Amino acid sequence: MAASTKTKSTPAASPLEQRDPELLKRIYEKMVQTRAVEDRMVAMYKSGDLLGSLYTGHWHEAISVGAAANLRADDYMAPIHRDLGAHLWRGMEAWQVMASFMGKATSPTGGRDGTLHYGRLDLGIYNLPSHIPANFPVAIGMAFAAKYRGEDKVCLAFCGDGSTSRADFHESLNIAGVLNLPAIFVIENNQWAYSTPVALQSASADFAAKAAAYGFPGVKVDGTDVLAVYDAVAEGVARARKGEGPTLVEAVTMRMHGHAEHDPADYVPKEMFDEWRKKDPVELFEKALISGGVIDEEYAKEIRAQARQHAIAARRKALADPMPDPSTVEEGVYAD
Amino acid sequence: MPTDTHNGSVTYLEAIGQAMMSEMEADPNVFLIGEDVGQFGGAFKVTKGFLEKFGPRRVVDTPIAETGFTGLAAGAALVGLRPIVEFQFADFISCAFDPIINVMARHHYRTGDAIPVTMRAPFGARLRAGPTHSQSVESYFAHVPGLKIVMPGTAQDAAGLLISSIRDNNPVLYLENKYLYRRLRSDGPGSLDPIPLGQANVVREGRDVTLITYSAGVSQGLEIADELDKDGISVEVVDIRTLVPLDIETIVNSVKKTSRAVVLHEAARRMGYGAEIAAEIQERCFWHLDQPVVRIGAKNTPTPTSPPLEDAVVPQPADIAETIRKVARA
Repeated sequence: MAASTKTKSTPAASPLEQRDPELLKRIYEKMVQTRAVEDRMVAMYKSGDLLGSLYTGHWHEAISVGAAANLRADDYMAPIHRDLGAHLWRGMEAWQVMASFMGKATSPTGGRDGTLHYGRLDLGIYNLPSHIPANFPVAIGMAFAAKYRGEDKVCLAFCGDGSTSRADFHESLNIAGVLNLPAIFVIENNQWAYSTPVALQSASADFAAKAAAYGFPGVKVDGTDVLAVYDAVAEGVARARKGEGPTLVEAVTMRMHGHAEHDPADYVPKEMFDEWRKKDPVELFEKALISGGVIDEEYAKEIRAQARQHAIAARRKALADPMPDPSTVEEGVYAD
Repeated sequence: MPTDTHNGSVTYLEAIGQAMMSEMEADPNVFLIGEDVGQFGGAFKVTKGFLEKFGPRRVVDTPIAETGFTGLAAGAALVGLRPIVEFQFADFISCAFDPIINVMARHHYRTGDAIPVTMRAPFGARLRAGPTHSQSVESYFAHVPGLKIVMPGTAQDAAGLLISSIRDNNPVLYLENKYLYRRLRSDGPGSLDPIPLGQANVVREGRDVTLITYSAGVSQGLEIADELDKDGISVEVVDIRTLVPLDIETIVNSVKKTSRAVVLHEAARRMGYGAEIAAEIQERCFWHLDQPVVRIGAKNTPTPTSPPLEDAVVPQPADIAETIRKVARA
């Protein structure tokens, strides 16, 4: 059965020089790209290019990219709407995400679903419904399938602080513990579930502590520190691959935009935004890489410019892409 | 497992067990998951002996967590397995609406990825089990695009339809009538030939009136048809077998022949599946009808426990016979 339960707040981080510089650069690039795509999409939302609202993951880039960077291509992932970085890490195209928010025929669902529902099974990414964390039971199913076949694949599942209140969160973690499944659950504690603050979500001081009730380790990390997230998830992935069962990781950050772009989030105290604005995970990592000599200012500038160009090109393609053909609307309700 | 004392014939319950066993033997991706399905062999003993034969990897006892294990099945199916989920009672399926409706039923339409899950659930009344242990749940789900709904009314069909359900690439709700488990036997030796989903069966030919039914209504309807035959009323009995997909052609052909139709089910009448069938008949056979289409279902109350109360709610043979007689002779 599972190892003894532990809750620790700061995993011992390796110094930068002990890490693979190529991996560090890839993580940095993907975080920058994530930010650039989302900034571009905010502009698209404001200019009326998108259907409905836009859900972004500003200040979640360290979590989504840092966690996903641990996966192999054949692993499974069940992300949520703050995890564009994880999608991009796995190979999702930025224009496909934009096409999804526009209901285009070229979106991963061909316009059958849209907005934040753009997973791709060919990339091992479950396309979640709106009922988060309904992705958790599915995630433990993918982990179950890996174990059933005797493979060492894992499934990485994400949810928010609000999701922890739901029955499917509890049932999934409970079953994963009992069946010792190769799953890593990441709670992105961004302090707000729509307008509900964490204090109204749970009387527990932290969410990582919940792991104790399921018989596996829970770790709480700074969700703006990409290497802290990476290390905590790495430990979970290693445990899962060895057949040692699930791990819960709570990554603390702040939702810097509204629940979606229509939401001005005026219920959030201004001082809270001011405080967290200083903890931009992309900037923090960039500074660390520059001061650690992994990259220099020139390189960072180049990466940012590239990411901006990439986002502009993605927008151009998504805008030009066709809308779906209504004569196909009844196709595909059932599989053959 | 079959006993030798009935010339190889099997009960409705044994037919279900044999179908599952043969599919698990044939396909290593098929596994069974649910509460008490392993060591205990299931609340009704449908899966007795499965754990011993297939081991805990393929016969998975779960915590009491319908949302969790149903969603688990969806995820496992998404990446290539073929789960059979057992709900201990169909009444508990409400705890799994979310994975069934929002995860499974929509998924292929949203993504093009198949979710082949068979969900078995014992349902139905007449066992004095009360309001939360006797429900007919088919209408909740018949409204949801993306699900198939299978409701066998004979022991032969129980096996053949279950095999087709397990091999189907969609989420299939297979509702087994727990009253029939040990009360029905197959006519001949149990057969494991698959029966395609979406094919109704004319189980008795007749001239005067068509009785359209499914599940327990089939054996009940056949007995009543025999009785009415003595009075010179010839009843054609159509077992629809699957609610989704519905073989409307067989129903229409029969009603065009008899010009009279009665729909029978054990579920509550209001918004029961009979309403859908009656509406289809009315749209497609209006000029062939000699009488309005009549629906027989349970009263629009919860199913009470005490025998006189339950019998007053669930359609009884004498009342069914009387209704058919009136329609036939009007």
